[in-house]
Amino acid sequence: MRLGLTGIVLAMAAAFSLSTADAQMRPPATLGAQIVDVPEKPGYVPSPDEEQLDPQFRRQPVFFRTNEAPGTIVIHTNERFLYLVLGPSSALRYGIGVGRDGFQWAGLQKVSRKAEWPDWTPPSEMIERQPYLPRFMAGGPGNPMGAAALYLGQTVYRIHGTNMPNTIGMAVSSGCFRLVNSDVQDLYNRVPVGTKVVIRQAPEL
Amino acid sequence: MNKLACALATAGALFATSLAHADTLADVKARGTLKCGVSQGLEGFSAKDDKGQWTGFDVDFCRAVAASVLGDAAKVDYVPLSAEARFPALQKGEVDLLSRNSTWTLQREADLKLMFAGISYYDGQGFMVPAAKNVMGALELNNSKVCTQRGTTSALNAQDYFRQNKMTLELIELPTVDEVVKAYADGRCDVLTTDVSQLYALRLKLAKPADHIVLPDVISKEPLGPVVRQGDDAWLNVVKWNLFALLNAEELGISQPTLDQALSSQKPDVKRFVGTDGSYGEQLGLTKDWAVRIVKSVGNYGEVFERNIGTSSKLGIPRGINQLWSMGGIQYAPPIR
Repeated sequence: MRLGLTGIVLAMAAAFSLSTADAQMRPPATLGAQIVDVPEKPGYVPSPDEEQLDPQFRRQPVFFRTNEAPGTIVIHTNERFLYLVLGPSSALRYGIGVGRDGFQWAGLQKVSRKAEWPDWTPPSEMIERQPYLPRFMAGGPGNPMGAAALYLGQTVYRIHGTNMPNTIGMAVSSGCFRLVNSDVQDLYNRVPVGTKVVIRQAPEL
Repeated sequence: MNKLACALATAGALFATSLAHADTLADVKARGTLKCGVSQGLEGFSAKDDKGQWTGFDVDFCRAVAASVLGDAAKVDYVPLSAEARFPALQKGEVDLLSRNSTWTLQREADLKLMFAGISYYDGQGFMVPAAKNVMGALELNNSKVCTQRGTTSALNAQDYFRQNKMTLELIELPTVDEVVKAYADGRCDVLTTDVSQLYALRLKLAKPADHIVLPDVISKEPLGPVVRQGDDAWLNVVKWNLFALLNAEELGISQPTLDQALSSQKPDVKRFVGTDGSYGEQLGLTKDWAVRIVKSVGNYGEVFERNIGTSSKLGIPRGINQLWSMGGIQYAPPIR
């Protein structure tokens, strides 16, 4: 048992060192839901350089045809993009990282609550994977929840910031939908509580 | 952007000769190669790489047809054609198929006696601006200096668009594309306008491409697609359903990495696609595994797009309007059943 645990920690350490090698290991957005084990780094404050995303993941207005009303959030997990609908054929697009939880479900939710610099209470599954994590961490820079969180309905799922900007574009082990802090702040300021959120997954075979 | 259309009208007369024999599918099978008309070199769409191999979005379509008809994506004889030569070459039977960024228009079907098999790429005129301007859409471009190439429809479209939306512009028309790019790079204009696919290609020529964005607005229609001769419906069907197979594969989640999984899938529409149910390939004059061979050779539509022109390629064109209808775009293929 103890040996097994050491093995896991070692494996995570290996994954961790890889994750710092930024863009090179970042899978293209078309890769699907193959989840990379990247442990949380509570307390880590990224540099402004790290916060600068690859061009395709930067916040930008794009063509997006939809029947959803302006103001609706549409998340495409497979593409690693979150769209905020602006009109019938345009949206503001944000690059996202998708956590294991983000792949669990598709469908409709509403933003039930918003918070800036939220506190973090790692769920028990995460503690099991990474026993060294704190049981509670107050909000602020270095908190894995980042600068803001939008809570989705009555679920445990949320759209939140991150202190690990190099996980944008990836499918990672923990978290739900993560944006870089400047993006999640931008989104926080644009959408009110009650905003409709549509989540779309890749088709199953 | 089609100044040459008039010159081609006369070529329609040549069509009469090709009617005498119209079983292109049998010809291609007997010959063992597909003669595919492509461009003379357009980065991302059809161009020779440094090893002399043809690559690109349009080239992959040729490869897909060869894979489904001949069982081998490599059995393509590429015929590079100028804008002037492309339609006469098809009419005279020098190529079986044109896969060469050609816009679908009425004149090309009704007058030139050709048939477009579908729309593989929705192009259209757009605008590029410096990202630092923080512009969200073309309607925010009032009082802009707009650079474009002289004598193209782009200049007319831009003027129309600004007038219709009660905005003013100062149009700066320059004789060549290179001069347009230079004027934009030097800050002589705030906006550059031409077809969106070209905007992305031109962006590569700027010192810092990522500092410039292409706005989401598309103000003209330039639907590009593969073209065949009129009078051979069976061949039109083969080419058309090749395009539909690429799109359906993506919609069904069938890609190169998931192809093996798809072969043992129990989902009815996946089974029809891979040929474990029905005889759809045979109905086209092909084999049961026709669509499997397409995906095995080139991948699905999304894979072809990303590899050649998508955000992970040099060109970096987002899917945008070419996204599937179910994902916010307008690419839509009828079902295989």
